[in-house]
Amino acid sequence: MSNFEPKIIAFVCNWCTYAGADLAGTSRIKYAPNVRIVRFPCTGRIDFMLLLKALQTGADGIIVSGCHPADCHYTAGNYHARRRWIIFKSLLDFVGFDTGRITFSWVSAAEGAKWAQIVNETVDKIRDLGPYTDYSNLNKLGVGTITEVLNARTA
Amino acid sequence: MSRIGVFICHCGENIGGTVDCEKVAETAAKYPGVAYSVDYKYMCSDPGQNMIKDAIKEHKLTGVVVAACSPRMHEPTFRKAVSEAGINPFLCEMANLREHCSWVHLKDDSTTEKAEELVKVLVEKVKRNQPLEPIKVPVTKTALVLGGGIAGIQAALDIANSGHKVIMIEKSPSIGGHMSQLSETFPTLDCSQCILTPRMVEVAQHPNITLYTYAELVGLDGFIGNFQASIKLKAKSIDHDICNGCGDCIAKCPIKKIPDEFNAGLGTRTAVYVPFPQAVPNKPVIDRENCTYFTRDGKCGLCAKVCTKGAIDYSQKDEIITIDVGAVVVATGFDIKGTDFFPEYGYGRYKDVITGLQFERLASASGPTLGEIKRPSDGKVPQNIVFIACAGSRDPAKGIEYCSKICCMYTAKHAMLYKHKVHQGKASVFYMDIRAGGKMYEEFVRRAIEEDDVNYIRGRVSRIYEKNGKLIVKGVDTLLDAYPVEIEADMVVLATAGIANEGSEELAQSLHISYDQHNFFAEAHPKLKPVETNTAGIMLAGACQSPKDIPDSVSQASGAAVKVAALFSKDELTRDPLIAYVNRCGPPTYSTCVGCFLCVSVCPYLAIEKEQIKDRNGNLIKEVAKINPGLCQGCGTCVALCRSKSIDIYGYSHSQVFAEVMALFNERSLENV
Amino acid sequence: MQELHNKIKSILENGSASLFIAYQKSREGKITPTFITKPEQSQKAYFGDDCKQNLAVYIHKQEVKNFGKVGIFANIYTLKSLLQIYAENQIRDDYLKVVTINPNGAIVEFANFMEIENYVNENKPAPNPEDMERVEKLSNLSREERWDYWLNELSTCIKCYACRAACPMCYCTKCTVDCNQPQWISTPSHSLGNIEWHIMRAMHLAGRCVECNECARVCPMDIPLNLLTVKLNDTANIEFGQQAGLKGELDYALSTFKVDDKENFIR
Ligand code: SF4
Ligand code: SF4
Ligand code: FES
Repeated sequence: MSNFEPKIIAFVCNWCTYAGADLAGTSRIKYAPNVRIVRFPCTGRIDFMLLLKALQTGADGIIVSGCHPADCHYTAGNYHARRRWIIFKSLLDFVGFDTGRITFSWVSAAEGAKWAQIVNETVDKIRDLGPYTDYSNLNKLGVGTITEVLNARTA
Repeated sequence: MSRIGVFICHCGENIGGTVDCEKVAETAAKYPGVAYSVDYKYMCSDPGQNMIKDAIKEHKLTGVVVAACSPRMHEPTFRKAVSEAGINPFLCEMANLREHCSWVHLKDDSTTEKAEELVKVLVEKVKRNQPLEPIKVPVTKTALVLGGGIAGIQAALDIANSGHKVIMIEKSPSIGGHMSQLSETFPTLDCSQCILTPRMVEVAQHPNITLYTYAELVGLDGFIGNFQASIKLKAKSIDHDICNGCGDCIAKCPIKKIPDEFNAGLGTRTAVYVPFPQAVPNKPVIDRENCTYFTRDGKCGLCAKVCTKGAIDYSQKDEIITIDVGAVVVATGFDIKGTDFFPEYGYGRYKDVITGLQFERLASASGPTLGEIKRPSDGKVPQNIVFIACAGSRDPAKGIEYCSKICCMYTAKHAMLYKHKVHQGKASVFYMDIRAGGKMYEEFVRRAIEEDDVNYIRGRVSRIYEKNGKLIVKGVDTLLDAYPVEIEADMVVLATAGIANEGSEELAQSLHISYDQHNFFAEAHPKLKPVETNTAGIMLAGACQSPKDIPDSVSQASGAAVKVAALFSKDELTRDPLIAYVNRCGPPTYSTCVGCFLCVSVCPYLAIEKEQIKDRNGNLIKEVAKINPGLCQGCGTCVALCRSKSIDIYGYSHSQVFAEVMALFNERSLENV
Repeated sequence: MQELHNKIKSILENGSASLFIAYQKSREGKITPTFITKPEQSQKAYFGDDCKQNLAVYIHKQEVKNFGKVGIFANIYTLKSLLQIYAENQIRDDYLKVVTINPNGAIVEFANFMEIENYVNENKPAPNPEDMERVEKLSNLSREERWDYWLNELSTCIKCYACRAACPMCYCTKCTVDCNQPQWISTPSHSLGNIEWHIMRAMHLAGRCVECNECARVCPMDIPLNLLTVKLNDTANIEFGQQAGLKGELDYALSTFKVDDKENFIR
């Protein structure tokens, strides 16, 4: 596990966090290269299904980030997103997903340093936790035949 | 089959020094759908751009990924370049190899690997990009200005002087607003009406301005550049085309005891009236709520008899007109709290406890006392006067929590005016803090204290009560260790809070703009868009947004006017086409939208409407959501909310973002199989 | 029962509905829905505590809509569903005649959804204590135990979509599972695809599920999938004070917000 490098996907809004990450760049703040940013217009656009898809495709950790409350470029997308994440996180927790692997944050266009810090902390944390295969491996288990399943049930 | 071209930029050493660009280009060449891949020192340079253009033609590319700096920097450059080579600009995407990669990571294989993946993600995206055309909407170059106070006047004149038509509507019979009620203005003490009335006349005479007084907005439909305003013109009962403003009717009107709004209730007026001598238009209206001809069915009719021009027309009706406008400036002003909300100040029971606005009227040469400070109860000149600042402001318990901003200054002005008029009189001001931020403001307050000898007491007034014809004002001086102070005053002036107009909530709703918890209209961004609302094409000016003094109102009005003029500078608006839409398909489904309308309330711009799909005979088949392309700003919140995925958005479509996510890391999971 | 029969008869006779949806009981004691179109068939209708199915689901069917005005016998959960789908613009007031039996055994006929709203709020069923207890118990397990539990349960799903078909709130013409451009939910019923499906289903019902438990009843694999929506309803209620099926006006936690909504996980 020593050379495990976590794969992190970041879902960010264009106006704050994407710009904040740009600022980290122009300020030459160094952070871990494990993160891949996918750009969205606003956190309001981020479909919860995409988080599942990211885990399926092999992400060990996820960052979801946008404008601070009251700063959304579209005034309210992040407020809607916040509610969505409250519900979604409650569900993932209930089903037993490791939600500690998902970092939710508000990073403004002026917070290049905060962005670097969020990435670094997430990477460190996931490095400790190890790869996340609980979920992504499931599609390799194949489809159980109905009889198998039923037998397992009655057994 | 897509033919994507990938162009990796070294950005000199900026990217090339950290990322192995050659390797990235080689790897990218192997991605499915990539027809051409190359790296170059400076993609944004002329030769770099030409390289892209040539490759598009030579390799018949259907999409382009430029992997270089942040798209926030050069996306327009490269989109323009590809369109010059004949493909749609929206078929070009940028991978951010500089700000998000080379500048933040060390020179290492992992950095190059990241660069490769970032390119891969964008390749998968661009394969699914659609050619898009910027949305063009025609602009009606007429502005609607709501409200004829100083903010509305300024905005209207600025817009009209830049060559565009303006429709101004004002709900009262004359324009002028609160500024026309003021005596002198801080910090210069110049007479308010003397500087205002020329502006009012200019509005009335301006060839580009159409003025409707005694009129109200009843509805606004449409979107930026293309609004339809419905305006109610209240019946004036006098034909203003015939009336010459002689005022004979006013002199004869027997109903004389109506509290005068212009004088803040300190004087009276008749039922047929002109609100004040310098009113614009200077022609009377009949106040139907008080005229006996209307309240007691045809009793009286004197004015019709005395009018030599025959201008009186009792049969006039309210009229609704519809006007097409391209932009709206909301300048509906504010209101002030009365004196009747504070139990400890007597709930408005004492005649000589008045508001600041009433004091303005007393101090005004055109006021009920012709500028002499006389108290309302018995007309005596008060020898001892007390001003109480923050009466209701900054008081979440009984009043409002915000600072009304103007009261510190006008209270200083009032005290000063009083001292100038009643030399031997005593003036005291109770205050919490003195907020005198503004050019010459602090100096002005100092002058009141130092030159005019106004007694400033830092502390709250706990009670006012009447005793032997005096108003006993009890308070504390907190600078003197909460030392109790008691003043036997002849008159007390409360600097009551500035509040939103009654009905602003409804107005905001009919304009589809937001408002804050105090019902002041909300700006689109507190710092960077202080004059726009979050509905494109609607601007704010003056105290309807928050309490403001005259210079602030005027500046904001000019700001709003510039926004309008900029909007009107072109015949068509072009907007980014990255907006959402509800799918449509053939019968029998027509759209996968089931019309649950859960999305309607998520849209910050109220862009989601209901649309009825009807058959040829006009029978309703289905009710579905429709996104108004003029209003949608493309946040995508509705897209993520819709359960049936019936809403999609250009530029960040379901298939695009899905493919981006699925493109990442996938190899590893495949390897593991 | 006679009273109910008479009521249905008169509704069909006086034309306030041309179809009446109710329960019937077979000789074997099986409860099934019945679709009554003729007044003389009214005595087929049955009501008892064993009438659990949520009949509101039929309101969405084109075959039912073709009848124009429809009457429906509704137990309390069906009433909640009707109210919820009314708030979601799926039914019109004037096309529905709703009848229920109140706790005292009297027939109640509703004139409009306002009346249904009042009735539902007066007779609001308490959350099922058994379900709450199970949710509670699961919540107290370790994360790994919860994961094993759900993996075990959900891996048996055969994606027959009976749960979706039985749910009055699942009325989309095209469900996300039916999308193949992109393929949001993996088609095979392997565990991953199943979990995706159930996560999505629960998310879409959060704050909308009326807790009739029909989904769990119809599941041929006996998956307690209602617990997922019960849990999310609980979250929506605790976090945002929103409950499904109690208002004729749209009240949906995820389409509104408060500036001061609280959470403790966003950094
Ligand atoms: S994308 Fe955003 S702005 Fe456009 S309709 Fe949807 S919610 Fe409104
Ligand atoms: S009814 Fe049961 S088996 Fe069928 S799809 Fe739903 S959960 Fe799966
Ligand atoms: S634009 Fe950043 S959260 Fe909405």
